[in-house]
Amino acid sequence: MASISINHTYAGKHVLLTGASGFLGKVWLAMMLDRVPEIGCIHVLIRKKGLRPAVDRFEKMVGSSYAFKNLHERFGEELSAYIAQRVEVVEGDVSLPNFGLEESVAQRLRTQLDLVVNCAGLVDFNPDLRDALGTNVNGGLHAAEFVRSCQDAALLHVSTCYVVGNRSGMIEEEVHANYAPANPDFDSEAEFTDLQQTIDDVTAELESSESEEELKQEVLDKIRRRGLDESNATLIRNMTHRQRQQRLKNRLAEEGERRALAHGWPNTYTYTKSLAESLIARRADGLKYTMFRPAIVESALSYPFPGWNEGFNTCGPLSYLMQTWFRHLPAKAGNPFDVIPVDLVCNAIAIAGAALMLGEHRPAYHCGTSDRNPLTIDRACDLVSLAHRKHLRKSGSSAMERVVLSRLDGVCVEGEHLLSVPNIRSVSRGIVSTLRGLSERVPAKLGKSMDEWASATEQADRQLDVVEKMLDLFRPFIHDNRFVFRCRGFQEHDVEEAAFRFEPESIDWRHYWMNIHIPGLRRWSYPAIEGKRVETYTPEVAFVMPGPNQAQADATATHAKREVG
Amino acid sequence: MKKTTTVAFVRVEGTLVDRGVLSASVYIASNGQGLTERLLRLGQVALTAPVYGLLGQNDRVLANRLAYVAARGMSEDRLAVLGEEYFEDILQERILDSGMDLLRKAKAAGHKIVLLSEGIEQFTRPLVAHLAETLDIDELPESLVCNVLELRAGEATGRLLDPVVGGHDSGRWASQYAQEHGVDLERSVAYAAHGPDMLLLAAVGNPCAVNPDYTLRRAASQADWPIMEYTL
Repeated sequence: MASISINHTYAGKHVLLTGASGFLGKVWLAMMLDRVPEIGCIHVLIRKKGLRPAVDRFEKMVGSSYAFKNLHERFGEELSAYIAQRVEVVEGDVSLPNFGLEESVAQRLRTQLDLVVNCAGLVDFNPDLRDALGTNVNGGLHAAEFVRSCQDAALLHVSTCYVVGNRSGMIEEEVHANYAPANPDFDSEAEFTDLQQTIDDVTAELESSESEEELKQEVLDKIRRRGLDESNATLIRNMTHRQRQQRLKNRLAEEGERRALAHGWPNTYTYTKSLAESLIARRADGLKYTMFRPAIVESALSYPFPGWNEGFNTCGPLSYLMQTWFRHLPAKAGNPFDVIPVDLVCNAIAIAGAALMLGEHRPAYHCGTSDRNPLTIDRACDLVSLAHRKHLRKSGSSAMERVVLSRLDGVCVEGEHLLSVPNIRSVSRGIVSTLRGLSERVPAKLGKSMDEWASATEQADRQLDVVEKMLDLFRPFIHDNRFVFRCRGFQEHDVEEAAFRFEPESIDWRHYWMNIHIPGLRRWSYPAIEGKRVETYTPEVAFVMPGPNQAQADATATHAKREVG
Repeated sequence: MKKTTTVAFVRVEGTLVDRGVLSASVYIASNGQGLTERLLRLGQVALTAPVYGLLGQNDRVLANRLAYVAARGMSEDRLAVLGEEYFEDILQERILDSGMDLLRKAKAAGHKIVLLSEGIEQFTRPLVAHLAETLDIDELPESLVCNVLELRAGEATGRLLDPVVGGHDSGRWASQYAQEHGVDLERSVAYAAHGPDMLLLAAVGNPCAVNPDYTLRRAASQADWPIMEYTL
């Protein structure tokens, strides 16, 4: 087994990182800056947002995210200079060829880069197909093309274990150029062309004169219903535009889902990520690359600190639901639930990147736990219940929460269940129709009360609709398929630095879920689900990214110092 | 080899806390995962309880085995969490002050304290950790001897692993322990509350029956052992 030193391998190397503003990208960036001070430069590709330049976005990210807390505490007022010497913010967009970089910047990077870590990805399960295609497919292809145009760079493409689609059993660390779970004759290039054509066709269809007329009529009806001014041309134009955009978005989201299901993937996300893998593999001639496939990336085990999390993630909504009166999770007991802490994923990216630069890499790496330290969905469900129980018993906001809710555990149920969401919904709809029917036949006062009860039940039904849709999204991962992702690639690399080792066996699941993950989600994810403001980090010394000239001066000074040293 | 160590063997149930095995098994049963599971487990405990009472004096090993059948199929995770809760909710309030005094005296007399409990590990450890901290005896958790539930694939089978603590074997066990650890039993002490502990008390030079049940009281009177009575 070849030994790898992360510090030595990355020393003086230039790495381009995309998707740095995402959960995974941020932690990896912070970790590398913290633990590999000798790194040459991390060129962080960030999109301009509206009028806001990339540097401003980067500055805000480093200055307000807890992912960079350790760096702030370690360097204090020196942090700006420290980062300026090791980071270059480049404005660009993965969905554009050459990342939309200025030609001079692109040219310079082509000679400088050793590694491109493509972390950018749209992780919504069923987004607008245009967005998914832009980020997940084109993003990957542009990264591959850019790497090929570099003098001596390699590509680490961050994908997902779930590109495997609706399949069960042991999933190997392999890459296929034309992979579709339910279609052995799948042709990735033909699918890519067809996909683009479909988007164009749907767009053209919705912009046709008939469709436009129909849309205008709908808008006028809406304006009348709302009692707005029918002669206001600007209002009509704006509303029509919004309606058209929404309709296009919905149609393309449906189209993405339809194609994904037809080929055997559970959603557009896994379908587009898989398509990107196939296309990169198919066009790989002369390209040094590896597919890095993490499973479900969740709260940090220790870096930047235990429990750090961001956004919804997978466990967020499911575990949040189990803190409410919802109790029956449609999941098949015994199925692995492949959760992997974000900092272990970052270690794994560092290892795979180093192996790639050294030419000792494998074509694909799974980064999960189902093979080496499996956690079943029923155990996860029990641990979530126990973690909520522990919290609510002491910190529940009412006696009801402390005494009753804390003791109502979630359970996994397979198939039809008396208290399943569809069954509850069908009962609630029955109640609504009975109440509405009766309200007309009883005295007016009682009828009014019945209407109010019916409205309240309808509102509850709408909430259940959201829950039902969400459970349907997760169903393939926790109920329908039984995935075990072979995770042996990293065992081929003996990492010298203990802090960078990838050892999923070391996770104590009970401790992780009860004392790290669920408390982390409660702090960072549940407020977002509830639409509340999520806590941001305020460093003692504000972070300011020095201008290019200052950064250049600092960098020169540092390189000189390093050379003298 | 000269035996220099002296030990205070202390039975937890009845001497240090006034809650026993059935209380723990009711807690386990009433906190299973889901309402159906709880009802089934409670039904099981309700059927077991009278048998436990009848067997208590004669075959406490079997009685203990029956009591913990309630944990069958329960996850190791849940048992660990319930053990902590059981201590916080129930046991902490049921610690007997006079029992604590006995431990203090044993410590002051230089005895090594060995706690014997019919409780399962998950339910006894939090109590022992608390006692160790309160009395400042770091080695107390290591010298705990308690029952161990068999676990398979992270779930309790409902079976207690041998040897089961609580039966008539405690006297023989104490002698073996003394041999292995070089303990002078003649200068050692033992505190216990139940009939099956008779042979444990008989094995040491300084036995004491604490809050004894009918059988132990009769035996203590006949053997002229001191009897202590105390409540919460």
